[in-house]
Amino acid sequence: MSLFLIAALPFLGAVFPALLIRAGRNASASAAGLTTLLAFVGLMLHAPAVLRGDVIQAQFDWLPGLGLNANFFLDGLGFLFASLILGIGLLIILYARFYLSREDPMGNFYTYLLLFQGAMVGIVTSDNILLLLIFWELTSLSSFLLIGFWKHLPEGRQGARMALTVTGAGGLAMIGGMLILGNIAGSYDLTVILSSKEAIQASPLYLPALILILIGAFTKSAQFPFHFWLPHAMAAPTPVSAYLHSATMVKAGLFLLARLWPVLAGTPEWFYIVATTGLITMVLGAIIALFKDDLKALLAFSTVSHLGLITMLLGFGTKFAAVAAVFHIINHATFKAALFMSAGIVDHEAHTRDIKRLGGLRHLMPITFAIATVAALSMAGIPPFNGFLSKEMMLEETVHTAWGGSAYLVPGLALIGALFSAAYSFRYIVHVFLGPKRSDYPAKPHDPGVGMWLAPAFLVGLVILIGLFSAKIVGPLVATAAGAVIGGEKLPYYSLKLWHGFTPALYMSIVAVAGGAVLLMLHKPLARMWDNAPRPEAKVIFEALIAALTRLARTITDGLHNGAMPRYAAIMIAFTVALSFYAYQSGTLAAPTRTLQDVGLIPILGWASLLIATGFMVAMHRNRLLALVLIGVVGLVVSMGFNYLSAPDLALTQISVEVVTIILMLLALNFMPKETPIESSAGARLRDISIASVAGLGVGGLIYALMTRDFIGETISGFHLENSYKGGGGTNVVNVILVDFRGFDTFGEIIVLGIAALVIFALTEAVLGTRVRAYLLNRKPDLPQAGDSHPMMMVVATRVMMPLALMVAAYIFFRGHNLPGGGFIAGLIAAIAIIMQYMASGFAWATERQRYPYHAIIGSGVLIAAATGLGSWFSGTPFLTSAFGYIHWAPLEEFEWATAALFDLGVFLAVVGAVLLALESLSRFAWQPGANTDHAMDINPARDDVAKTENEG
Amino acid sequence: MIPADLTVILPEIVLALSAMAALLGAVYTGKDKLASALVWLIAGLMLVLAIWIGTGSDGSRSAFNGMFIDDGFARFAKVAILLSAAAVLVMGQDYMSRRGMLRFEYPILVALSAVGMMVMVSAGNLMSLYMGLELQSLALYVVASLRRDSVKSTEAGLKYFVLGALSSGLLLYGASLVYGFAGTTDFAGIYAVAQHGEVSVGLLFGLVFLISGMAFKVSAVPFHMWTPDVYEGAPTPVTAFFASAPKVAAMGLFARVMHDAFGHAVEDWSQVVALLSLLSMFVGAVAAIGQRDIKRLMAYSSIAHMGYALMGLAAGTAYGVQALLVYLAIYVSMNIGTFAFILMLEKDGKPITDIRALNLYARREPGKALAMLILLFSLAGVPPMLGFFGKLYVLNAAYDAGLAWLAIAGVIASVIGAFYYLRIVYYMYFGEEGEELDSNRSPILWGFLMASAAVMLLGIINMFGVEGAAAAASVALVN
Repeated sequence: MSLFLIAALPFLGAVFPALLIRAGRNASASAAGLTTLLAFVGLMLHAPAVLRGDVIQAQFDWLPGLGLNANFFLDGLGFLFASLILGIGLLIILYARFYLSREDPMGNFYTYLLLFQGAMVGIVTSDNILLLLIFWELTSLSSFLLIGFWKHLPEGRQGARMALTVTGAGGLAMIGGMLILGNIAGSYDLTVILSSKEAIQASPLYLPALILILIGAFTKSAQFPFHFWLPHAMAAPTPVSAYLHSATMVKAGLFLLARLWPVLAGTPEWFYIVATTGLITMVLGAIIALFKDDLKALLAFSTVSHLGLITMLLGFGTKFAAVAAVFHIINHATFKAALFMSAGIVDHEAHTRDIKRLGGLRHLMPITFAIATVAALSMAGIPPFNGFLSKEMMLEETVHTAWGGSAYLVPGLALIGALFSAAYSFRYIVHVFLGPKRSDYPAKPHDPGVGMWLAPAFLVGLVILIGLFSAKIVGPLVATAAGAVIGGEKLPYYSLKLWHGFTPALYMSIVAVAGGAVLLMLHKPLARMWDNAPRPEAKVIFEALIAALTRLARTITDGLHNGAMPRYAAIMIAFTVALSFYAYQSGTLAAPTRTLQDVGLIPILGWASLLIATGFMVAMHRNRLLALVLIGVVGLVVSMGFNYLSAPDLALTQISVEVVTIILMLLALNFMPKETPIESSAGARLRDISIASVAGLGVGGLIYALMTRDFIGETISGFHLENSYKGGGGTNVVNVILVDFRGFDTFGEIIVLGIAALVIFALTEAVLGTRVRAYLLNRKPDLPQAGDSHPMMMVVATRVMMPLALMVAAYIFFRGHNLPGGGFIAGLIAAIAIIMQYMASGFAWATERQRYPYHAIIGSGVLIAAATGLGSWFSGTPFLTSAFGYIHWAPLEEFEWATAALFDLGVFLAVVGAVLLALESLSRFAWQPGANTDHAMDINPARDDVAKTENEG
Repeated sequence: MIPADLTVILPEIVLALSAMAALLGAVYTGKDKLASALVWLIAGLMLVLAIWIGTGSDGSRSAFNGMFIDDGFARFAKVAILLSAAAVLVMGQDYMSRRGMLRFEYPILVALSAVGMMVMVSAGNLMSLYMGLELQSLALYVVASLRRDSVKSTEAGLKYFVLGALSSGLLLYGASLVYGFAGTTDFAGIYAVAQHGEVSVGLLFGLVFLISGMAFKVSAVPFHMWTPDVYEGAPTPVTAFFASAPKVAAMGLFARVMHDAFGHAVEDWSQVVALLSLLSMFVGAVAAIGQRDIKRLMAYSSIAHMGYALMGLAAGTAYGVQALLVYLAIYVSMNIGTFAFILMLEKDGKPITDIRALNLYARREPGKALAMLILLFSLAGVPPMLGFFGKLYVLNAAYDAGLAWLAIAGVIASVIGAFYYLRIVYYMYFGEEGEELDSNRSPILWGFLMASAAVMLLGIINMFGVEGAAAAASVALVN
């Protein structure tokens, strides 16, 4: 049968149990059983070839871009594990059929079980590490479903969470390690990786890869210090425990160690990490197991201990140890699964798993007693059972192993492990089955039906047979599997038999068994001591660790993301400064090519006042009015600077924009508190000051560096100077750029300007209906307001100035194309002239005299500009191409007329409309309809009276 | 000239004009009453455009003197953007309209930001880059503070706006430096000037500022600060939007600028991008651990995921870009499902975002819980879910490019990150008895959740052909 089919069968079969559950529990169970049987038979068909030493392969390219191939191969090791998985799976399916009660959702159970089984078979047969990883995580997922969907006892939840966290994280770490391995080998195919030992062990990434893979293997196989999750996962139903937590899933880690043994083993790193971990786990697990009163907890810790044993053997890195490891894998799977099932039977019949409440069951449950006794004796390492054989081999190997120069450390500790192992095995027999019959069992125990004891009985049969005729029954299997582990090299000498003569291992075994019996006799006082002794509880440590990490994470997070924007900005800017410094460091800076101009006294004074004003503004920014005044100063100095540097256009624009914005901002101050409260601490401000200074100085330095060097290409000013008159018909380059070269931009900008004004209008309109307006109107000023809100002098001055200002605007507008000026500046000047009317004579007065709505002015401006642009289409040129010509009109001199001027008119109108609309909108807040109807220049006696009473009072 | 140019950007024009027409039409007619219809209309239009772009022309075309490039890379990103935006729009419609949040501007703003995103990934010039970026950002600023009556939402929106303006400033500053020292704003021109080893300091500064600005848009650490606040503060459908299309667009833009303009100076930027990637992965993973709000958690998750995507970019190779694109496509499809799930969480009609409310969710809603389980495993990068393959791609790309340290760090970060995804699983399957959530029976959300989970599982078969498309796209970009 093709390997694809064997691997796929459990997945395909997983559909049936869930569907067939309506047809009854037997149908569901037999569907699961038949599928497994089919796969098992398929596997066995390959047995002769595999035992001959052939490697069966099946290949299919799946996602070649990723290196993911659906390649399977079956060698001795894979065959061993696959037969364990499918064979024990079959027994578990049988057992579970009778173990699960009527209320348990059996269909789902079998579905998940088959999924899990398929994933396990996938792991042991994949020839591609990506494929292996997929199956690896599938086991996590399906085991999680198997446990998770069970009844939720409180301790079960904790256990599931731990199992999920530990194995999940471990699996991800392993992915990393495997990927590194694949990258070193240049292929993700296991067969390729297995043949590139030299490259892998010589790579500098060997150690990181090893550690990451080991984390994955150790977490899965519950090795110290990750051993704690396994006992807590025992809340799962017993068939699950027997299958996942003893026979198969926890052995996946071991499988991986064995699989990668040819490329990873043999280095000191491997020995010290793997062997030490295994040794510690073995001893620790054995000691703890003795003091557990829960049957399943005892078995769980014993599993941990035995897994440690196998890990240790693999860690030794010798061929003989590898053989022993493979042999013990087989033996452990048989007796431990039988033990779990017997524990399940006890639990099922006596309704308790607490050893303290059990005892004397041998009379009530003779069959179970027989099964459990044989299995437990095998676990204790008593001849003639199979456990004895592999334990002997293990002890034999430890004698030859020196750890860090000490020849006694490993055998000594191994002996202690074996001793405790014997002790808890005896305890399992003595405290549960022997002793007097009790009268207070939670339920009346009796042997179960044949369906339930058949599976463990079969396994126990194997235990005996392997023990007696090991070389015949499992000899070839051990040989091929061990051969696969050590990478096809020649097997060392070993013999699978009970009697090897008086070897050190035999003495150690005798000591272990005798010591175990003594320990059991002393169990009561020892257990009391154990209970009273302070000892680290792994679960508590795990939880404390998680809690501490969570707290740490939260502290970091809260520190970084406390919601304060200054901090966010500070981090951003600081990082950018650091990056810029990196850029500065890594690049090459050419020598300056330009020299600075001489600087006179006046520019220095201007520069100094700019700095002083800016500095004061930063310091005084909490007082908004003062800040505005200082901003005004800055703007003024800047526009003077433009003028000094021969940019009159810019200067004009700057100064008029400055005036308009300051006025608008003054109006906006009306809605704001006068001062900003201080919210940041002194430290935060110090931080901000330093970051801002560094960033500011950095930018300053950068700009200085830029200005003293030439740019890479020519600047575009040459082009503009050359073409301004020729192409645009104007000698004022700035204006020609605005209305001609970049006319399209300007067109966009006036639209934006108009939209901005409309948005201000819409916003104020929306707010006017809310409480804000009432608040503003009812607000009591904290200083007495001027008695004369429209001072006569100002009113007169502005009204006189108005025609003059408009005249200036017109002048600026018309000269714009050839001399500094233009529509934009002219618009601002006109707007300022009108704003002054509002300010001097009052809102009501000005509004009364305003004939054209500002919306319309903006709109007409945009339309005129657009029409000008469209006009050029009639002459067959693209949008906004300007034309110019000379017109001779009798009373005047000949003058130039460019269509750009029309466009400029659009700009002018849009600017005027936008500025005034914004102003009008903002000032509407404070305006009370009808409250202030007196004209500015009218004499209102009542006002004087008010002023008088205020002065007197 | 012009008509040929217009054909190239026809999809963008259609979407933009439709959005404007919808805006005008809705203002003068039913306003918010039309919102639901508009959602469907615009989502449908996006779907049509995605099909049009996806099945349309092959090869590379450019318009407006190279300002706008329509190549395989742009088309890949655009299809992802349009599909995810359409999906998110449809998903949020019911949620918003039941809470009176569905204003007719919402779908229009989403459409306009999608136009911006499309321009971003097609930008061939610093100016079109900036235009696309701002169109996208301005729409997003508004969308982020859509819930004006909520202090949290407006605060988040304001922060996003102010910091976004700061980052735009940085970007603009960088762009002008680049212009000054490359003599052109055209990517092709910059590409010719920026040769590794001869990059002037000015150009390097420009590059650094450009990267800083774009890092903000992809919310890479330390420019990520706005993300948790906005994700938490914005209404969930908006959060879902933030977690999908804009990520693709910003990443696409990032890759576009780095490869199209600075493709000869990979060494000069790959270290910086690698640093951003490293920081994002770790901060995203560590910070999410302490979160109880699932939206905030998803914010950190998105930061971490952007770290992984940046890893593909840091590789600086065509394979890296392919990895980036595959990663983004997978990430977006995962997020759509996850947010469909989050949108379904409610009690007494009120949205719930506390993950502890998920206690024993699996018992009441086994199907949805299983789908979410798959999505969470996928987000954590557990095989065989598609999320793993995305991670695998970027890790491979980084490793091949000699960034083994970054790949290993990425693995470690994913181990840390798995913790919080698994915690949600834990609550759903093993939590304690708590108050039950309402069972939301929205078929749309259910459909998206299930489809997304199915994609995560079935994608393993052949990734729905995304792999090949991404490979073609990356070749178009990197040469």
